[in-house]
Parts: sequence; structure tokens; C-alpha cells
Amino acid sequence: MLRVLFALLAGLSVSSGLGVVLNRRPLYAALSLVVNMLSLAVIFLMLSAQFLAAAQVIVYAGAVMVLFVFVIALLNPAREEALVSDPRQLLFGAVVGLGFALVAGIGFLGLTQGFGGSTDLGSGVSLGSIQSLGRALYQDFAYPFEATSLVLVVAAVGAVYLSRGR
Amino acid sequence: MPPLSLFLLLSALLFITGASGVLLRRNPLVVFMCIELMLNAANLAFIAFSRYHRDMAGQVFSLVVIAVAASEVVVGLALIVAIYKSGRAMDIDGLSEMKG
Repeated sequence: MLRVLFALLAGLSVSSGLGVVLNRRPLYAALSLVVNMLSLAVIFLMLSAQFLAAAQVIVYAGAVMVLFVFVIALLNPAREEALVSDPRQLLFGAVVGLGFALVAGIGFLGLTQGFGGSTDLGSGVSLGSIQSLGRALYQDFAYPFEATSLVLVVAAVGAVYLSRGR
Repeated sequence: MPPLSLFLLLSALLFITGASGVLLRRNPLVVFMCIELMLNAANLAFIAFSRYHRDMAGQVFSLVVIAVAASEVVVGLALIVAIYKSGRAMDIDGLSEMKG
């Protein structure tokens, strides 16, 4: 049952990811990115990360994508005529992509022997609960958490500074 | 429950998709979306490791990644709007003054 769900979600997320890359119109790419993020949120639920699934829907599929769609509507960018203009670019991209796929494949072969032998994990309800995430966040990772808030403040100030009127 | 390697394979596939989008596309908006795709793939790997090792550190990292991705989008889109207001073409190959 879970495997069927995972196969469906994996197919959905990979095909919508390809839709982001291959769609000529930026608005369609943004919409397939929404589908990708929602399917990843359900995968997070499968991995018993309830809070992160909610954060994924609220922050990514909500706030970030609204920002993207606003900017697309504001700029109204034309559709790109050709996906690849320069044949050298395609060659370079193919070489880099194949090299990366090779490295990832080697790492993946190593991983299938090293980690994750057990598929019987027991219940993860208490593992991914807000209580345990909050305990980890405010006890073990208090300083990184505060640094994250600093990053958010700097980003907000920077965005206001960049988009101020002349 | 599917094995950990399947989640990692999905994460690697999504990351490669995003990386090829960054290399191929020239619209800066689409390049930003592909960066989001790659960050999401990293999040998936973090959360899968967190579940299979029963350790909350992965979920905390993933939360930090979400926050950093949100800030990156805010600053990046502000830059894109500023470039648009200055009347430049929205082509990532034409915006190369800052390359070393």
C-alpha cells in the first residue's frame, strides 16, 4: 500500500519537476512546481514529518509560489523560443549532467549496501511530532535556530532595500 | 515502507532535474524555480535520513533549508524586479557584469 503510494507520488514529483524544466511559459513552470511541492509534502507525511509537510505547503506552495506568480504577472515574460540556443551549451550541459549522474549512481550503489537495510521502522508518530521537533529545535539546535531568524531579517531588509523607489 | 534507497534515488532524480534546468534555461525566473527544485530534493534526503535513523536533526536541518530558500527567493525576486525596472532584457546570459 505504502509502496504504491510512494510510486505514484514519485512519478508525480519527477514528471512535474520535468515540467518545470521543459515548459516554455514561466507560468506553467510555476504551476508544475506547485504540483511538485504538494507531492513532496505528501512524501514528507509518509516519512512522519508532519510539521514539515505543513510548513512545505504553507511556506513553499503558499508564500513562495504566490511571490513567483506575482512577479511573473508583473513582468509578463515572453515564452522562450528555443530551449537551447547554443549547441555548445547543450554539449556542456550533457557532459556535466552525465558526470553528475555517474557520481550520484556510484553513491547510490554504495548506499544500497550501507544504509537502510531495515524497512520495518515501527511507528513514527511520536518521532515526527511537534513536541519532539520543538525539543530538538530549542534545546539541541537553539543557536542555529536563532541564526535562521537573523537570516530572515537580513533577507527582508535586503528585499525592501532592493525594491525601494528611486 | 519503501527502503531508504528509493527515497534517496527520488531525491537524486529531482536534484538532477533541477540542476539541468539551471544549466539549460535562460529565464532567471525559471532558473530560480529550478533552484527551489534542488533545495526540495535536498530536503527530501534530510527527512528520509531523519526517519530511517530516528534522529530529529534531519528535520531541523530541513526547516533551516526551508527558511533559507524563502529568503533566497525574496532577495532574488527583488533583484529580478530591480533589473526589470532598469530596462534590461531578462536573459541570464546577458547579465554577466559580476562574473570574475
